[in-house]
Amino acid sequence: MIQVNGDPLEWTPGMTVRGVLRAKKYNFPLLVISIDGNQVQRADYDTTPVPDGAVVQVIHLLSGG
Amino acid sequence: MRQLKINLPKCDGGRNCEHECEEVCATKMFKLDDRSGAALHIEALADGQSSAILCDQCGDCVTVCPADALTRNKQGVVMIDKKLCVGCYMCIGFCEKGAFERNPGWLEPYKCTACGLCVKACPHAALEIVDVPVPAPRII
Amino acid sequence: MSHSEAGQTIIPCAVDYTQRTEYHEGLEAIRAAHRVLKETTFTPSLPQKGYNDRTLYVDLTTREIREKPVTQQMKDLFVGGRGFGLWQLWNAVTPGTRWNDPENEIIISPGPVAGITQYPGSGKSLVVSISPQTDIPIDSNVGGFFGPLLKFSGFDALELQGKSDRDVILFIDGQKGIIRIEDAPLDPVDSHVLGEILTRMYAEDEADRTNISVVCSGAAAEHSLIGMLNFTWWDKRRGCVRLKQAGRGGIGTVFRDKRIRALVCRGPVVKADMNHPVDFETLAKTGIKLHKEIRTLDDSQCKMRRNGTAHIVEIMDAYDLLPTHNFQYGSHKDTHQIASPVWEARCSQMTVDGCWYGCSMACAKGADGLVLKTGPYKGHMVTVDGPEYENAAGLGSNGGIFDPDYLLELNFYCDTYGICTITYGTLAAFTMECYQRGILNLERTGGLDLTWGNAEADLEMMHQMARGEGFGRIAGQGVKKMKELFIANGWGDPQLINDIGMEIKGLEYSQYLSKESLAQQGGYALTNKGPQHDEAWVIFMDMVNKQLPTFEDKAEALYYFPLFRTWFGLMGFCKLPWNDVAPADNSTTSEPAKIPEHVQNYLDLFTATTGIAIDRETMLMQSARVYNFQRIFNIRMGKGLRAHDLPPYRSVGPVTREEYESRAERYDKQMLEEIKVDPAGRTLDEKIAITREYRMARYSKLCDAVYARRGWTPDGVPTMARLKELGLDVLPELVAIVQAHGG
Repeated sequence: MIQVNGDPLEWTPGMTVRGVLRAKKYNFPLLVISIDGNQVQRADYDTTPVPDGAVVQVIHLLSGG
Repeated sequence: MRQLKINLPKCDGGRNCEHECEEVCATKMFKLDDRSGAALHIEALADGQSSAILCDQCGDCVTVCPADALTRNKQGVVMIDKKLCVGCYMCIGFCEKGAFERNPGWLEPYKCTACGLCVKACPHAALEIVDVPVPAPRII
Repeated sequence: MSHSEAGQTIIPCAVDYTQRTEYHEGLEAIRAAHRVLKETTFTPSLPQKGYNDRTLYVDLTTREIREKPVTQQMKDLFVGGRGFGLWQLWNAVTPGTRWNDPENEIIISPGPVAGITQYPGSGKSLVVSISPQTDIPIDSNVGGFFGPLLKFSGFDALELQGKSDRDVILFIDGQKGIIRIEDAPLDPVDSHVLGEILTRMYAEDEADRTNISVVCSGAAAEHSLIGMLNFTWWDKRRGCVRLKQAGRGGIGTVFRDKRIRALVCRGPVVKADMNHPVDFETLAKTGIKLHKEIRTLDDSQCKMRRNGTAHIVEIMDAYDLLPTHNFQYGSHKDTHQIASPVWEARCSQMTVDGCWYGCSMACAKGADGLVLKTGPYKGHMVTVDGPEYENAAGLGSNGGIFDPDYLLELNFYCDTYGICTITYGTLAAFTMECYQRGILNLERTGGLDLTWGNAEADLEMMHQMARGEGFGRIAGQGVKKMKELFIANGWGDPQLINDIGMEIKGLEYSQYLSKESLAQQGGYALTNKGPQHDEAWVIFMDMVNKQLPTFEDKAEALYYFPLFRTWFGLMGFCKLPWNDVAPADNSTTSEPAKIPEHVQNYLDLFTATTGIAIDRETMLMQSARVYNFQRIFNIRMGKGLRAHDLPPYRSVGPVTREEYESRAERYDKQMLEEIKVDPAGRTLDEKIAITREYRMARYSKLCDAVYARRGWTPDGVPTMARLKELGLDVLPELVAIVQAHGG
């Protein structure tokens, strides 16, 4: 189990950042993502693994309205 | 269209020349004080090669200009009509080659007009004016 | 559907964007019928450091035209834009002034930085008036050329008072130094026609058209309370006028009630430095930096240049935040039919879509070649300005309409008829839900079958509004008055009707679902003008990022963001380039949500133009003065206290059984974890009531926290201490009002 913005999410082996975004349906274009406090750059979303038990923050930058 | 082209292997990057291309462009064409204001720039790279920034008349600036101040002349060269220019500098911002120039003393920016002065001046014959098809405008 | 990936070839729209139905055949006859009723001369001037130090006042009753000075106190306390507008309005009206009294004013004011050509989004104006919908001041922001051209003619604001006895055109010629009031007996009313004709009429030649901007409204503004103002700009590449809107609050209705047919400003040829800025180099460097940023990053961020604000349609749907069926739900299976890839293909992409020079964000997309299916212009081919997100959500999903051509047609007719798309979208959605629930029926609507998705009926309601007849006329009174009417007629349960009518103080909600975000409930309800999202848009911060867990966190956001966003409207800036693009390293800054590098850009631009030093603190002080002044103005006009900041329950929680059931898991979880009540064994109606009581109590707590943070009393009155802090205590009228209400 991992945490995403404080909410639990089922972990699967081989889960990447991109996988987390897909599972949460997060398609906002301007994101700031960190895993256990370490920032992940956009170019690395597909390749960065998310370990079991990780605390993930996906901050959506305001935009909109 | 008329286009300035550089043969980089022939270009010296200024190692054994006086940057005659930049000199003549800046001082004779644009009446500026020194070669830093030229509409082309050459540079010697650490590995012995050279790089150049110059306008290839791609026309991206024509697409973005909100005042329609940029048009192709009969030779296909992109020219600026200073009367229409509003000094927004979107041309400078959207030029991927960094080839649109600005002089802090002037409101209107400027660019290479494929005049050929630099071709004559280059001691390595690295520059030439060629005739190439006008590229299709692209979405940017 | 997702965005097209960066680098993917988009099939360009095959429509020839220079083709459309032309309207200028009758131009000469229209011109010949104009008679000059009043003419006066003035000395055109250009601003110095952003200010002309004078405004133009016109009394439409007496046809008096005179100049008024901009005082140092005006600049110190109100800066420009919205601040100037509110100040001039304050001095023009009394607490008893109604929107259609002659002393009500319409004031258009750009701001000291407006008109620079280097930085994206620098052509905006704020328009201020007493709103026919709310009876308090409305401030409405608008893009385009009119504000800068007005400034470069010589005026920091245009102040219109009185009422004309006949339809007139006010023409300000900033090249020749002439102001004329002309009567306009043959001129058309609808903006897409009138804007074309007047631009061609007042331009001396084709090249001069780019120096003309027209302000006008349309037929529906004459028969409704929801009229808006179109501000035109000449699109050289398309060869037609484009329309930007001062949309919210019904200012177009005031405009037509004053019998103004149009304002026309002819400015001098625009060059780079007409504000005579103190430090041009900083403007140039900062502008170029933003152009490069947009060039390299927009495609992988918000794709504003391709889609404008419509890029968030599918995003809102994915997050269950897209208003659907009158804000009942947050998504719909057909949203992909009106999502951004549709608009990327439909809107012409090789055009210049910035509404002022230098805007490389260029969000004003246009859909060309639409052949209209209905109404007085049926069969005509037109260019539609839009759709923006608010239009796609308001006219589209909120009404259950997912056909892009009908959506464009609804958008088009709102624009040309001079009514606000946001307002129309929300009121139409309200009528459709009333129809769904039997509050309205075919008899009561006069035959309009207002079922979800019935675009033809929706359009017919709009055409009726333009003709001033039928149910359309009733709908044009807005949600608040419809609620009152339907309740008075006994057409349905009063509580239900009040719950589902999405308005506060008389202004309809804009198109975001605040139901699950306490912070956004405050973002809409704790506003000056009414539920418009241009004060605080905090849904993601609250609901998704979970960055505002406590009441104090929410209060801090609802203190900061309204002030920050107010600042744009003092200056002449558009807020989109602030955060619809972000620098590549933004995520590494301490507060990425505030886009700190861009905030610094704006401070630099202000100082570079005016020479006045500013930092983040003084920026907020400038805003806070105007914001608190507006709050006190609201109190003065009778709607500025806590009782008026009350949201309809639809914006706070589930009103109906279907709504509760559509999110039952979420609501049951909240009941168990937060309310500490076990949902098991409770009936659906009990659960709805429990949730409602809890949520309204939370809203009330939020009010307490926000008012306190803003330096207001628990009743929402700015305190004397706050006034002193802001330096507003130099205005005795403000002190008197604050003290009379316990501030």
